[in-house]
Amino acid sequence: MEDATRSFGKGSLPPGPVPDGLIRVYSMRFCPYAHRTRLVLRAKGIRHEVVNINLRNKPEWYYTKHPFGQIPVLENSKCQLIYESVIACEYLDDAYPGRKLYPYDPYERARQKMLLELFYKVPHLTKECLVALRCGRECADLKLALRQEFCNLEEERQESVSAHQRSFLSPLAQETQIKLKAYLRNSTGPEILGYQNTIFFGGDCISMIDYLFWPWFERLDVYGIADCLNHTPALRLWTAAMKQDPTVCALLIDKNIFLGFLNLYFQNNPDAFDYGLAC
Amino acid sequence: MSGSARSLAKGSAPPGPVPEGLIRVYSMRFCPYAQRTLLVLTAKGIRHEIININLKSKPEWFFKKNPFGLVPVLENSQGQLIYESAITCEYLDDVYPGKKLLPDDPYEKARQKMVFELFSKVPSLVTSLLRKQNEEDCSGQKEELRKEISKLEEVLTNKKTTFFGGNSLSMIDYLIWPWFERMEILELNDCVDHTPKLQLWMAAMRKDPAVSALLMEPKALRGFLNLYLQNSPE
Repeated sequence: MEDATRSFGKGSLPPGPVPDGLIRVYSMRFCPYAHRTRLVLRAKGIRHEVVNINLRNKPEWYYTKHPFGQIPVLENSKCQLIYESVIACEYLDDAYPGRKLYPYDPYERARQKMLLELFYKVPHLTKECLVALRCGRECADLKLALRQEFCNLEEERQESVSAHQRSFLSPLAQETQIKLKAYLRNSTGPEILGYQNTIFFGGDCISMIDYLFWPWFERLDVYGIADCLNHTPALRLWTAAMKQDPTVCALLIDKNIFLGFLNLYFQNNPDAFDYGLAC
Repeated sequence: MSGSARSLAKGSAPPGPVPEGLIRVYSMRFCPYAQRTLLVLTAKGIRHEIININLKSKPEWFFKKNPFGLVPVLENSQGQLIYESAITCEYLDDVYPGKKLLPDDPYEKARQKMVFELFSKVPSLVTSLLRKQNEEDCSGQKEELRKEISKLEEVLTNKKTTFFGGNSLSMIDYLIWPWFERMEILELNDCVDHTPKLQLWMAAMRKDPAVSALLMEPKALRGFLNLYLQNSPE
C-alpha cells in the first residue's frame, strides 16, 4: 500500500517540496478522516505521495502545514495547503481530470452535501463507543444514539429507493442486486421489499458521498460495534456493495493490524502509528 | 417587497407550487442564516419569492420542506428542496448565470471554505451573547468571540486584500456578513475594536448594493429580539 511508510515524529527533518506532477497528503494509516482523502486520490487515479505523521509525537515542522497539527492536509507542488477532509476531497475532485466523484447536476450536488449533514454525529459517536469499550466502560447509551443516527441514514436509503423508480437496471446492477438480496435473506433482519436500484447514496454508481461515509463503517467491526447495523438492512446492503468497490478494497485495512494499532494506541504507546510496517 | 410579508404559522395552508421562472425561499426576517441566501439571491439578481415562517409556531407542512424544520430552504418550480444555508448559497451560484460568487480556481475555492471553517464558532458565540444582553456574566464569552474574530483579522492581514476572497466581494464575505451586521446593531462593537482590517471590511461591505438593500432596521431587530427572548410567537 502506498501509505505503508514510517511516520514522522518530533525531531524529524521536514520533507522537501512536493515534486511537480505529484500531490502530497499528510496522513496517518488508521485515521478515518485521512482515509476519505486517500479514497478520493485512489478513485481518481491521482499520482500522490503519503507522509504519515506520528500524532502523539508531532514534528514541530508539521504546525507550518496545519495550525493545529491535524490531518489530513494536502500539499501541492505550488506549496498550496488544503485541509479539512471534506474540503480536501472536493479540491481533488475539482482540480483533477477524469472521473468526477461529485455529480454534475447542481441539485444532485446539493443533495450529497445535505446528506453529509445527516452524518455529522457519526464520527464522534463511533469514537466515543470505541474509547468507552477500550476503557472497560458501559456504552449502551452511546450505541443507542449511534443506532438512531444509522436509522436516519436508513430512512434516507428507503426513501431514495422509492423516489428513484426506474424500469430498467443495467445488467451489472441487476446481478449485484440479486447477489445482495440473497446475502440479506441469509442474514438476520427484515428483507427489503420492492427494493430497486440506487444501491449507493448518490445513485447506482459509487460517488463522493459514499467515500465520505465509508471510513467509519469500515471501522465498526474492529471497534466492536458492528451490531449497531442490526436494524438497518439498507445500510448493510450498502456496506456489502462498498466492499466490492475496487478503491475501497485496495485501501481496506487488515483487521489484525488495526487491532494491533488500537492496542498500542490505548496504551499510549507512540509506536502505535507504525504498527504492522515491515522492519 | 415580499420580504416584509407576515409569517406563516401553525394552522396555515401550505403555499402552492413555485411558478416557473421563480425560485422560492422559506425565510424569517431576522434570521442570519436565511440572510445569507437572500444576499446571494440579491447579488446575483435572481427572481425569487419569499415566504416567511413563524419559527416559534411552525406550520406542520413546513417539515415536508425541511425535516429539520429550519430556515432557509429553497424550493424551485420542479419541487426540488435545498436546505442548510451554505448549501443553498452554493446551489444558487452553480445554477444561475451572471456574476460567479465562488472562484473557479479549485485552490481559491478551497481557501474560501477553509476561511468559512475558521468562522464556524462565531454564530453560536454571538447568539449566546445576544441572549445574555442583560446579564453580567458576558466577559468570558466576549473574550472567546474576540479570539475567533482575531483569526479572521489574521486572514485579511496575510492576504493583504480588502475582502476575504480578494479585492472584490465574493461568497465568503456574504456568508459571514450577517453576524457582523448584528454585532454592530447590538453594540458588541468592542469585539472588533482590536481588528482594524475587519473594521475596514465592514465599512466596505456596507457599500455593497446587496448588503445595503438587506440591512435591517436596528429598532426592528431589537424589537424582534425582545419579543423572541420572551418567547412570544409574534
